[in-house]
Amino acid sequence: MPHLSVNPSSKPNCSTVWLISVLLGLLAVHTNANDVLTVPQQVSLSTNMDSQQLSISWLAGVATTFDLMILRTELNETVFYETVSVMVSQLSGRHEWNWTSVEPLQCTSLSIKICSREGQSTSEWSNTEILQGSDLPSEEEWQMFPLDRVVPVGANTTFCCIVKEGKQFGTINYGNKVMNTTRLSRRSYATTVFNQGLSGPSGTNVVCYNSFKEIVIGAVVFVGYPPLPSDFVCETHDLTSAVCLWNERRNTNLYKKTRGTRYTLNNRTFNLSWSRNPQKERRVDHWEGNWTLLVVNLLGQYSLTDSAELSHRVTPVAPENLTFVAHATNATVLWQWKYDGYSSLALFCQVELTSQGYKTNHTFSGVGLRAVVLPDLYPYEDYSVQVRCGAQQNFWKWGSWSETMSFTSSSIVPEAPDMWVWMNKDYTGQVIWKLLTRRQSRGLMTGYEVTLWSPGESLQHTEILPADTFAVPVNLTQMATASSDNMVMATVTAKNTEGVSLPASVLIPLRLTDADPRAVSQAVYTDSGFSLFWQSDVNTTCAYVVEWHNTSCKWNCPVDWIKVAPGNTNVSIESANFQPGVRYNFSLYSISSEAPELLQRWQGYMQELVPSSPVLSLLTTQEDSDILLTWGHIPLVSRRGFLLGYNIYISSGSQLTLLANLSDPGSRSYTVKGLSEGSYKFTVKAYTSAGEDTGATASIMLEPFTDWLILEILASLGVTALFLVIVTFLCYKKRKWVKKAFYPDIPEPKLPGDWSRSQAPLDVKPPHHSLVHMVERPEWDSSKEALVVIPEEDEDEDGQGIGDELVDTDEPTSLRYYNHVVDERPIRPRYPDSSDSSASSLDSARTDVTYTGIQTSGSSFVFQLDPQGSSEGHQPQADPSFCAGGGGGYRPQMQSRVPSDDTGPASPNPFPESQAASGYKPQSSWQMDSPVDDGEGRSRASSLGSPTSIASTQFLLPDGEDDTEEIRQHSSSAATWLTNLLSSTKP
Amino acid sequence: MAARRTRGMTGPDVNRSTVARAASIAEQLRYECSILLELYREKESFTADVLVDGRLVSVAPPSSQLDTRDKLWRLHSALMQCRSLLERAIAREEEELGGGKKGEYETQRKRVKDRLSYLLICTGELLKTAGGAALLTPSLEGLELDGPTALFELKLWVYRIFKEVDYWTITTLEALPSVIAKERVRTSRGRTTRSTRR
Repeated sequence: MPHLSVNPSSKPNCSTVWLISVLLGLLAVHTNANDVLTVPQQVSLSTNMDSQQLSISWLAGVATTFDLMILRTELNETVFYETVSVMVSQLSGRHEWNWTSVEPLQCTSLSIKICSREGQSTSEWSNTEILQGSDLPSEEEWQMFPLDRVVPVGANTTFCCIVKEGKQFGTINYGNKVMNTTRLSRRSYATTVFNQGLSGPSGTNVVCYNSFKEIVIGAVVFVGYPPLPSDFVCETHDLTSAVCLWNERRNTNLYKKTRGTRYTLNNRTFNLSWSRNPQKERRVDHWEGNWTLLVVNLLGQYSLTDSAELSHRVTPVAPENLTFVAHATNATVLWQWKYDGYSSLALFCQVELTSQGYKTNHTFSGVGLRAVVLPDLYPYEDYSVQVRCGAQQNFWKWGSWSETMSFTSSSIVPEAPDMWVWMNKDYTGQVIWKLLTRRQSRGLMTGYEVTLWSPGESLQHTEILPADTFAVPVNLTQMATASSDNMVMATVTAKNTEGVSLPASVLIPLRLTDADPRAVSQAVYTDSGFSLFWQSDVNTTCAYVVEWHNTSCKWNCPVDWIKVAPGNTNVSIESANFQPGVRYNFSLYSISSEAPELLQRWQGYMQELVPSSPVLSLLTTQEDSDILLTWGHIPLVSRRGFLLGYNIYISSGSQLTLLANLSDPGSRSYTVKGLSEGSYKFTVKAYTSAGEDTGATASIMLEPFTDWLILEILASLGVTALFLVIVTFLCYKKRKWVKKAFYPDIPEPKLPGDWSRSQAPLDVKPPHHSLVHMVERPEWDSSKEALVVIPEEDEDEDGQGIGDELVDTDEPTSLRYYNHVVDERPIRPRYPDSSDSSASSLDSARTDVTYTGIQTSGSSFVFQLDPQGSSEGHQPQADPSFCAGGGGGYRPQMQSRVPSDDTGPASPNPFPESQAASGYKPQSSWQMDSPVDDGEGRSRASSLGSPTSIASTQFLLPDGEDDTEEIRQHSSSAATWLTNLLSSTKP
Repeated sequence: MAARRTRGMTGPDVNRSTVARAASIAEQLRYECSILLELYREKESFTADVLVDGRLVSVAPPSSQLDTRDKLWRLHSALMQCRSLLERAIAREEEELGGGKKGEYETQRKRVKDRLSYLLICTGELLKTAGGAALLTPSLEGLELDGPTALFELKLWVYRIFKEVDYWTITTLEALPSVIAKERVRTSRGRTTRSTRR
């Protein structure tokens, strides 16, 4: 230590020298100071391995600033190098400084050296002190540090693994996690875990693996919390000792003696076994008034205090040994106290009474209370009670509940049942009542008794029913006929082991009326049920009854009801049985001394749904050019809501287009207009407030309006008819010209001899026997022949019209031909008859030969019968093929051939087998061309040359006809018809 | 000696049934041991096997020269050591590492201990049948029951004990059939010898 020397005896005249000396002295001092900056000596080290703290002390005189350097010895890595200010410790006289290592101090050897600093000047470094680690060659086994560390949640901890000599390091795992490591020395490896989370109850393992991934060494770290108690209070139960209570607000996660929590209560230390219950308690024998709780673990401590007088902290114990004395409507509950001191303690006691799941509390007070009376109990009811008490003065808290005690109140006679009557349209019905609840039965039920009696008569009928019965069917027909009263009283009583209830009665009128005088209103369902309102009824003296049932039910319905006090004019009906989409009927009855009177009716739905089925019987009908849709109703059960109307859709593909909305739910039809021809599909959907149903669909093909077609046809026919009339009229007016032009007079034949005859037609009357006129056709088979048979007796009938025919057929250029039809039936003309004679011929029931004239010009005609038709039983057929038969067109009569053996007059059959048709020749050439080979026949044939009145029915067509011939035939027929017409118009 | 042992038998059927019961218990114990080891590995995050130096249970080395009684004795002794070690391990574990609520691991651990006791009763009966009651109490001297103090080493020690129980259970299971076979041969030889002497 440099010191300054001052000589006080120096002379004043030597002041300059003195000043110089001072300056030199100061300079010398400064120079000496640099020279004497103390090198720290006697550096010593001490360690706290748990806290990883290194304490360094040294001697360095008065120096206060030092440079400290700490290196890892083996790798010469600097761990710490800083300038620190260190004062001399008054106790030891040494400089002392503490350093906390991040790594455990055992991990590797550390070298420590110090130098003094004065400004920028430093002393020499001290001797290096080495803190030997556990990785020295002398400690050759596997090691790991730190061991069994307890750290708080969120801490950072560095672990190191020292590898066994000659072995290879693998990895360090923290739990399941492989950690990054740093090498501290030849054998030491370290890893740091940051922000550690809670460990398991047995800690988290930090495991060192060798290069073969085998577990070789490890450490356990416990991560938890410091204690955190709260709500510390002390109270007394026995009025002498204290019980102190507190809560552990947080689980420390640290257990067992070494890591667990320690407690100290008023300087008395204790441990508590682990429990899930966060509330802890400790009993102290005497009340001390002031309390201090200290809670400590390895991570921290917490202190709580409490102070109170004993009388302010009384928490009574639970009452013991509960007993009871039960009656029908009250019960006495008694109990005992564990401590005698309670006999003088003013108490509040709370009795919790539980019945049918409902709890009620009754509070009582008294000194040393140990019995209470519970009023207002239900008879025959199961109760359970428990009791707790608190100090009446300076009430602190309720004590614990006693154990639960159960009892049953006594029985009495039951309540009168709630009854009602459902009557059908006849005298049948049912008396119904609501089964008494356990509370209403007030005892063990034994049954019900139902009585029907007529007040004015002595008629009475009683029935006893089991206890589970709630309805009995009744038939009042007999009583109605036997009694003169207008009503019957139905009475129901309930019976239990204690007796019979008061009777419940309803008067039933015996004069039933079908009329339902009351209009039905709509009931609306709300959250509280169906809200029903009505006008007050002065006659209602007893009550109102609202009855409801499913509307679709008509007979012995499961009806429900509720009674309403007479002063009320509204009620909300709620029932668990209400179903969505079901219509309910509600009926309000007035109850008085008379029979119930129906006052009002409602209908309503709890919830309206869309109809469950569409309209029935949807039909489509075409009316003119419109389409009429008609449908039936939806059954009530399917409506599921009040119908508001119908929507009419037309469907095009899969899309429905709304045509109309019918807001009248009574609508049953709709006419669709303005549609063109085509196919249409219509859908009708009924809707309620909930929406539409799925709809009924019907299709229709709209066709043209046929009435117009018919009108058009009729108009055409009318025009045609008018035209014909006009033509006929003109022909009539010009008939002479027409006759001259188309029917000139046939020149009178010029015959040799006396063959002259009159111009009048020759009326040929055949002989009595049938006359057969055969006309042979050369190219035909000889077996085929034309047969003409006219019985004699018919000739008179036929001959009447012949004369007229002959008048018309005298035209030389217009010839008439007749076919013949043989039929056993009356022959009906296929074409308009040409004369009256032909009509008369048709009426003959006998075998006839008739002719129908076919007019043509300048041609010969063939009169032919269908051989097939002729040969089959000789049954003439009105067959068109027969009528149109014939082959090859007209056949001149001269070409025909008639077999002679089939023409005998005795032949009964006018159409011999295989008879061929023969031609017919106009009367102008008849004689010349007739090839008759029979003399008799020839003589007769000669008489046939004259025109003959013959009934005409059909045209005779030749075999093998073709279309051309047929057309010609028809035109010939038309001409014949026109000829006949003109003939008939002759005056 | 053989004759004495033969006289000690209550009959081949009874013996076989005892062996069968022992085998059944050993089979169940082996299954429960495997579950216990799995639970422990899961609980302690032991993803790899432990580097084990030596065995905890010390018995005479196996030899084909050993007769039935000695084989039974060896098995019974090993199992007794296992039970002692297991009981100690459970106690140490509870003392040092327990806490909190008990779970499946603790239940399985107790189950293995109880099953091991049942197996010991069976092997004891077999041993009694084979050699008499005087030989039924193997000594536990020299058995290291304290275990290490460091917690991680304690965990490894517990694990090794579980492995020992597993090992000796399997050994017992494998040895029991041969015990029966030898006993049958020995019994039949004894009978043959006696009948020949007659």
